[in-house]
Amino acid sequence: MGLRWYHFALWAAFAAGMFLLPEIVPRGTLRTIIFANFLAIFAISWDTLSGRTGYVSFGHPFLIGIGAYTTAILTKRFDVPVEISIPLAVLMTMVGGLIVLLPALRIKGSYFALVTLAMMELMYQLVQVIRPDLTGGTRGMSGLPTLTRGAVNGFYMSTALMLSIAFTTWLLMKTRLGTALSAIGMNEEAVAGSGLSVTRLKLVAFTASAFTAGLGGAVYVHYLGSIAPRALFDINFVFTIIVAALIGGAGTTIGPILGAFFLTFLLEYLRPWLPGAERYLIYGGVALVLYMYQPKGLIYLMGQAVRRVRKGAA
Amino acid sequence: MSAHLSIRNLIKRFGGLTATNDFSLEITPGSSVGLIGPNGAGKTTIFSQIMGEVRQDSGQIALDGLELTPLATARRIRAGVSRTYQVPRPFAEMSVAENIRVGLMPDNIWSMIAQGPDPDRELELALSVGFTKDQLEKLPSELSMGDLRKLEMARTMATGPRMMLLDEVFAGLTVGEIAMISGLVQQMRADGMTFLIVSHDLKALEPLIDRAVAINHGTLIADGPYDEVMNDAAVRASYLGT
Amino acid sequence: MLQVLIQGLLLSGLYALIAVGFTLVFSVGRVLNLAYGAYLLIGGYAYFYFAQSLGLPKFAGVLLAGILGCVIGLVKYRLIVKPLKGDQVAIEIATLILAVVLQSAVILVFGDSSKILLPIIPGVERVAGAAIPYSNLFAAVASWVILLALWWFVKTTHTGRAMQAVSMDAKGAAISGVDADRINMITWAISGTLGAVAGVFFASYTQLYPGMWVAPLIIAVAVVIVGGIGSIIGTLIVAHIVGFLEVMTSAFIAPELRGVFTMILIIGILVLRPKGLFGREEI
Repeated sequence: MGLRWYHFALWAAFAAGMFLLPEIVPRGTLRTIIFANFLAIFAISWDTLSGRTGYVSFGHPFLIGIGAYTTAILTKRFDVPVEISIPLAVLMTMVGGLIVLLPALRIKGSYFALVTLAMMELMYQLVQVIRPDLTGGTRGMSGLPTLTRGAVNGFYMSTALMLSIAFTTWLLMKTRLGTALSAIGMNEEAVAGSGLSVTRLKLVAFTASAFTAGLGGAVYVHYLGSIAPRALFDINFVFTIIVAALIGGAGTTIGPILGAFFLTFLLEYLRPWLPGAERYLIYGGVALVLYMYQPKGLIYLMGQAVRRVRKGAA
Repeated sequence: MSAHLSIRNLIKRFGGLTATNDFSLEITPGSSVGLIGPNGAGKTTIFSQIMGEVRQDSGQIALDGLELTPLATARRIRAGVSRTYQVPRPFAEMSVAENIRVGLMPDNIWSMIAQGPDPDRELELALSVGFTKDQLEKLPSELSMGDLRKLEMARTMATGPRMMLLDEVFAGLTVGEIAMISGLVQQMRADGMTFLIVSHDLKALEPLIDRAVAINHGTLIADGPYDEVMNDAAVRASYLGT
Repeated sequence: MLQVLIQGLLLSGLYALIAVGFTLVFSVGRVLNLAYGAYLLIGGYAYFYFAQSLGLPKFAGVLLAGILGCVIGLVKYRLIVKPLKGDQVAIEIATLILAVVLQSAVILVFGDSSKILLPIIPGVERVAGAAIPYSNLFAAVASWVILLALWWFVKTTHTGRAMQAVSMDAKGAAISGVDADRINMITWAISGTLGAVAGVFFASYTQLYPGMWVAPLIIAVAVVIVGGIGSIIGTLIVAHIVGFLEVMTSAFIAPELRGVFTMILIIGILVLRPKGLFGREEI
């Protein structure tokens, strides 16, 4: 469990490998990786709350949406520079999410999932009708300031963001805090029975998750340059985030990244055969079979394979 | 180090069933009390009320004069009282060492992040309940019932209690394991730990306690030295199921 | 005013039918079937295919939609719910994935654009200046008939009573010789049938499009949460609360806000009473 020098070496190798990619792969692939990076960020955020503590959020776009809309409105309507609006958006996600979801944290299991789902639908409907002059209503907003130009710069920016979020989350989860959060997912009563305040731990998990979601959402908006409520508060989007985390391996940091890349590229390679939304048929089918076969995800399967090879060699 | 537990007029009803009926008990610092009674007598419910997992309808519970009633479970553990469960509840995907680590954690987010685990203390606790060093990395699924009870003990001890509530610690254990746990309890008694122990294994229980308290239908029916309580007519009748 | 009353009654009847299949599975199997909305989707499209594309009689279309829903319910129980052995979170996630898979299957076969269902019974009745399509009237009446039949089934038949027993105490029921697995299967079959039939009516109320499964799922969820797990009567009452809330919101405040209060209702109730408003008593 502890930190070892080779952990850092592996992270360094991973980062170096990622940053070398623009020299090797074509532009189109870089664009795909950008989307995989953002999906990885969202999946890590989901995993920080749901993968660890077992409180499954079906409304994660709710948090991403707070971050995305805050910075979009600030930059578009009030001409706030991006350097200020993004931190404000992150803060807003943490505070806003906390106010709304704080009462929900005492709700357990299925009901928690349902409240978060309802929260997302509520946000979707409200965004369209309340102050459409600010939110852009049903159509959303476009022409937002973008952070980067071109695929290569976008790639560097999103990769740097993804790697720093992943590394920070990994470090945090390696501490005793991470152990305690995972313990909640395994047996909440026993955590309380070990003298730890479960509510406070859940709050920390939630805040960390909201931080990542808000940051990811805000930067994503300034990568796209536009925002649309239907694309954001969409059950397909929830589905993609959750499946990425689960397919890769919930409760780990590298798992959601792996899952996000696997799914994004799967979707991309299906495009020539199935150009439309029906790609989700195969995508979802693969996800469902994998999930039913091994709920612990790809990372666990890979670990198993390694263990088997080692056993064979020994 | 020792703690004084004082329970006064505790009442708990579940619907029409009175689980705890005007129950009072004083446990002086450093003493060890056996709580006995037939199945469904309300022993575990009393434990749960002391820990705040079940809230009493009325009555007071105080530890060293500190009223526990308004406190959440975690705060009561910090006040110095900790319990084991009849059915062990380990963290299923964590090793023995990690399970103990959770018990050792301070209830403070910053020190959880800033300070690493204490492997020496984890090992010490694991050894003290009778684990071997190579069992430290085992998962609960690889452990026997006896080992799971030991793990439950170790995690409870890890929270640094001054008083421990043991719920059926001997159930499912081999003779050797019972002797081991008994030795551990005796040693902790010598160090001044206060105990309240529930066990169906009266033979194993007897040497561990200074005094026995018998309940039936949530009501206290006898309180005194072990032999006296066991010879009490009402206690005998309760075990025969009347 | 009369218009709101009539529309409220019609919509609520349909909502009750939508919710009851979801409630049933939650009550008996303690499982939240997030693919429930997909029954409505499949039912609507099956009806469209059989009755409109193939030109079979409309009644046959509804029947075939129901049969398809029944089969999907059974398959879902066998292949997904049973292997996951009561792990609620895993079942929720798996059924959510399944819902998206079914949605894309529909897109693959029927395309992305929305379809108009021809009214089951053409014609419009005017009451106090309000236009009430016969179709909607038929849907509401059919919903009530189906609900009453279900109520009768649960209360009087042997299987129905076994369902009640399992919903109250699965272990106890198993000890008294009830085959919980068989009861669960029957419940999933009924739930699928009801969902698919509700889908035909729901699609004729609104329109037929691949994303149409989300709204009824939310309604079913709202009804379960507000009504607590399980009673048919509770489902009826809450369906009327939700239905009237929507109709009144669109009549008196703004049509776009119709769903907002349903969401606020769900969130508010859960926050105040984490176990639902009426708790659970019986099916």
